[in-house]
Amino acid sequence: MSHDNPLQHPEVQVASGRGYLLTFLVSTLLMGVALFLVTSHSVAPFGLMLALSLCAGLAVIVQIYFLMHMDLSEAQIWNTFALVLTIPLFILAIGLTAWMFQELYQRTMVMLPGMPGMLH
Amino acid sequence: MLVDLQGPWSPLLGRLALSQIPYENHILAPLFVVVVILGLAIIAAISYFGKWGYLWREWLTTVDHKKIGIMYILIGLVMLFRGFMDALMIRTQQAMAVGPDAPGYLGALHGYLAPYHFGQIYSAHGVIMILLAATPLLVGIMNVIVPLQIGARDMAYPYLNALGLWVTAAAAALVMVSLFVGDFSHNGWFGIAPIFELSYSPGVGVDYWMWVMQLTALGSTLGSINILATVVKMRAPGMTWLRLPIFTWAAVASNIIALTSFPALTVALALIGFDRYLGTHFFTAGLGGNLMLYTNLFWIWGHPEVYFVILPAFGMISEIIPTFSEKPLFGYVTMVLATFGIAGASWAVWLHHFFTMGAGPAVNSFFSVATMLVGIPTGVKVFNWAFTMYRGRLRFETAMLWAVGAVFLLLLGGLTGMMLAIPAINYMVHNSVFVIAHFHQMLLVIVYAIFGAVTYWWPKVFGFKLNEAWGKAVFWLFTAGSVLVFVPMFTLGFMGMTRRLDYVFNTQWQPLLDIQVLGIAVYSLSVLAFVGMLYVSIRDHAKNQVSVDAWGTARSLEWMTPSPVPFYNFAVVPHINARDEWAWRKEHGFTDLRPDHYEDIHMPKNTGIPLILGALMFLLGFGLTWRIWWLCALSLALIIALVIIRSFDSDTGYTIPADEVERMERGHHERARAVDLPAAGVLGGAIAYGQADPAVKGQGAALGGGMTSPEGSRV
Repeated sequence: MSHDNPLQHPEVQVASGRGYLLTFLVSTLLMGVALFLVTSHSVAPFGLMLALSLCAGLAVIVQIYFLMHMDLSEAQIWNTFALVLTIPLFILAIGLTAWMFQELYQRTMVMLPGMPGMLH
Repeated sequence: MLVDLQGPWSPLLGRLALSQIPYENHILAPLFVVVVILGLAIIAAISYFGKWGYLWREWLTTVDHKKIGIMYILIGLVMLFRGFMDALMIRTQQAMAVGPDAPGYLGALHGYLAPYHFGQIYSAHGVIMILLAATPLLVGIMNVIVPLQIGARDMAYPYLNALGLWVTAAAAALVMVSLFVGDFSHNGWFGIAPIFELSYSPGVGVDYWMWVMQLTALGSTLGSINILATVVKMRAPGMTWLRLPIFTWAAVASNIIALTSFPALTVALALIGFDRYLGTHFFTAGLGGNLMLYTNLFWIWGHPEVYFVILPAFGMISEIIPTFSEKPLFGYVTMVLATFGIAGASWAVWLHHFFTMGAGPAVNSFFSVATMLVGIPTGVKVFNWAFTMYRGRLRFETAMLWAVGAVFLLLLGGLTGMMLAIPAINYMVHNSVFVIAHFHQMLLVIVYAIFGAVTYWWPKVFGFKLNEAWGKAVFWLFTAGSVLVFVPMFTLGFMGMTRRLDYVFNTQWQPLLDIQVLGIAVYSLSVLAFVGMLYVSIRDHAKNQVSVDAWGTARSLEWMTPSPVPFYNFAVVPHINARDEWAWRKEHGFTDLRPDHYEDIHMPKNTGIPLILGALMFLLGFGLTWRIWWLCALSLALIIALVIIRSFDSDTGYTIPADEVERMERGHHERARAVDLPAAGVLGGAIAYGQADPAVKGQGAALGGGMTSPEGSRV
C-alpha cells in the first residue's frame, strides 16, 4: 500500500511563519497588558477579573485563527466539528461555575471588591 | 521567586536526604527487600534465558497497537494489585482500631497503621485504582480492540501511542517510588483544599500526587487524540458511522470526554503547583485564595473522568452480551445515542460532588436534575441489554457471567446514585461510607466489564482460551467478596460511619467491619484464583487453541482476523457490508475469502524514543517532586531535544513485500485449519461448508459483486 506524502494533505498545510510570529506577538502583548493591569492595581479586583478574562478570550481567538488556522473550509471540517463541540462545553464549564460561585458568594458574603452584588 | 521551604535543601539532591528513606518502617522496609529480591530475580531470569534482545525488539520499542495494549493491561493489573493491597490494609486497620480499648501495634495507638500512614494509604488507593489501574486497563483494551474493530492496521499515530504508554508507565513508576522514597499525599485522591497547600502539607507527598496526576493526564490526553483520529480517519471502506461496532462507539464517546476534560485537571494541578512552588494564592484559605474553586475545577474534570472510565465498560458489556445470547444487540442506534447522552450529561453534573458547599437551592436543584437525567440513557442501556438477552440462546460462559454481573452492579450503583443525586439525602449521607459503597459499585461495574473483556478477547490476542472452571471460580469468589465488603458498607453508611477513619469510635460497628474483613479475605482468594487461572490456562494452552472465531457466535470485525492476530492485523483491508460484519459474512458463507493477490503492506518502524522519553518524564517528575532543579532542567532539555530530533526522522516506516504477506497468511490459514479440524461442524463448519458447496460458491460470486475488490474471490 503506497502512502501519499502526508504533508500534501490540505488539512496539514497550515504552517505559516507570518501567522506564528503574529500569534506570538499578539499573545505576548496581551500577556503584558494583563500583567500590567495586575501589578498596577489599576482596576478593582472584580473589574480586573473581567479584564483578564477579556484578554484571555482574545488570546484564544488569535490562537485559533492565526496559530491553528481554523476556518470553515471543507478540508478543515473535523476542526470545525471539534470547535462546534467545544463551544457548548466551554459555556457550560465557565457559565455554571460563574453561576454557582455567584450564588455561593451571596450566601457566604465573600465578595470580590468591585462586585456588583456587593450592595445588598 | 520560589517559596521558602521548611527543612533542608541542597542544590545537588534537593529535598532528598537519607532520612527520607523509611527504613525504620516495619511494613515498608521488609516490602522493599522483597521488591529488590523480586526485581533481581526477574533481571536474572531475563539474562539467564537471554531474552533482553527479544524484550527490547518485541516489546520495549514496539509501536504495534496490540502489544502496547497488552503492556497497558499489564501495568493496569500490577497497579490493580497494588491498589488491592491498600484496600486490604484499610479494611484490616478499620476492623482492628475499634473503640478506645483496641490494642495498637507497630507504633500505632490503635490498629497497626498510624493516622499519617493511613492517610497515605487511602489516598494512594484512590489515585491508583482510578488513574493507574482502571484507566490503563480500559485504554489497553481500547488500544487492542478498536483498530481491529474498524479494519485498521494500526493506530493513526503509532509513535504517539507508544509515547502515551511510557508516560503512563512513568506515572506508575513515580507512585511506586513514593512507597520507598519519601511519602505519598495524605489528602485523598482528589486533593482536599487547602490541606494540600505547603503550609499544611510541607512534605513531598502532595508533590508526588500532583506530578503523578499530571503525567497520567498527559498520557490519557495523548491516547485520546490517537483513538479519535484512528476512528475518524482509519475506518475500512464501507465502515460507515452507523456500522461502527458498539465498543468503538463507546471508545469514541469516552475519548471525546477525555480530550475535553483532562485540560481542566491539568490547569487545577498546575495552579496547585504555582501555590506550592511559587507561593501564589489560588487555593489558599486567605489572601484572595478561593479553595472551593479548586474543588470546582477538579470535579469539572473529575465527573467526566468517571464517565470516561464507565463508557468503555458499557461498550464491553454490549459486545459480550450479544455474543453469548447468540443475537444481535437490541437497539443499536439507541445504544449509540445513550452513550452520547451520558457523555453529554457528564459535563453538567459535577457540582453533585460538593452539594454541601452551600451554593443555594437553585444551583443544587439544577445539578440534582442534571444528575438524575443521566439515569435515562443508562436505563436505556440496561433495557437494551435485557432485550438482547430476551429469548436469546444464553450461554453462561465466564465472560457472560462477568457481563451479567456488571449489569446487576450497575443497577445497585445506579439506584444508590439516584439517591445521592437528591441534595436532601446527599446532605445526610455526605462524606459517609454510603457514598464510598455507591461509587465502589460503579467502579466494580468497570472491573467486572474488564475481567469479562479480558476473558472474551483473550483468545483473539493469544490464540487460546482461558480456563473456564478457574475463570468461574474467580468470578464467584470476586462476587462473594464484593457482597461481603459492600453490603455492610452500605449499612454502615446509613448508621453514620464517615469515610477515611483511621480509628472507629463506635464499638457497635465492629461486627459489620469484621464481615468486611471476611469479604476482603474472599477477595484475596479471588486474586489467588486469578493467578491460578493464568497458570492453568498457559500450561494447557496447546489444548485450548482456537482459530478466528473463538466463541463461535461473535459478530464484529475483529473476529475475522486470525488468532493470534498478526502484527499487520488485516492482510487485505476488508470491505464492510453490514453493521455486524462477521455475523453477516457467516450468514452468507463468506468466512473463508482469499484474495487473488496480496499487496505490499506499509508498517511503522519500532523506535526506542518513546521509552526514553517516558524515562525522562519520570526523572522530570521525580526532580520536580524533590525540587532537584538541575535534574528538572536536564531532563526537560533532553525531552525537548529528543522530540525535535525525532520530528526530523522521515524514515519511520517499512514495507512488507506482498509475497512475504502471502507466506505469513498461508501460515495463519494452516494454523486455523489445524485448530478447526477436530471441531468441524461447530467452529470450522462454515469454512468447510464454503469450501465444498458449489451452490454457495455461485451465490458468493453473485453477492460478491459489491465486495470483490480488494479482497478478491474465494479459493
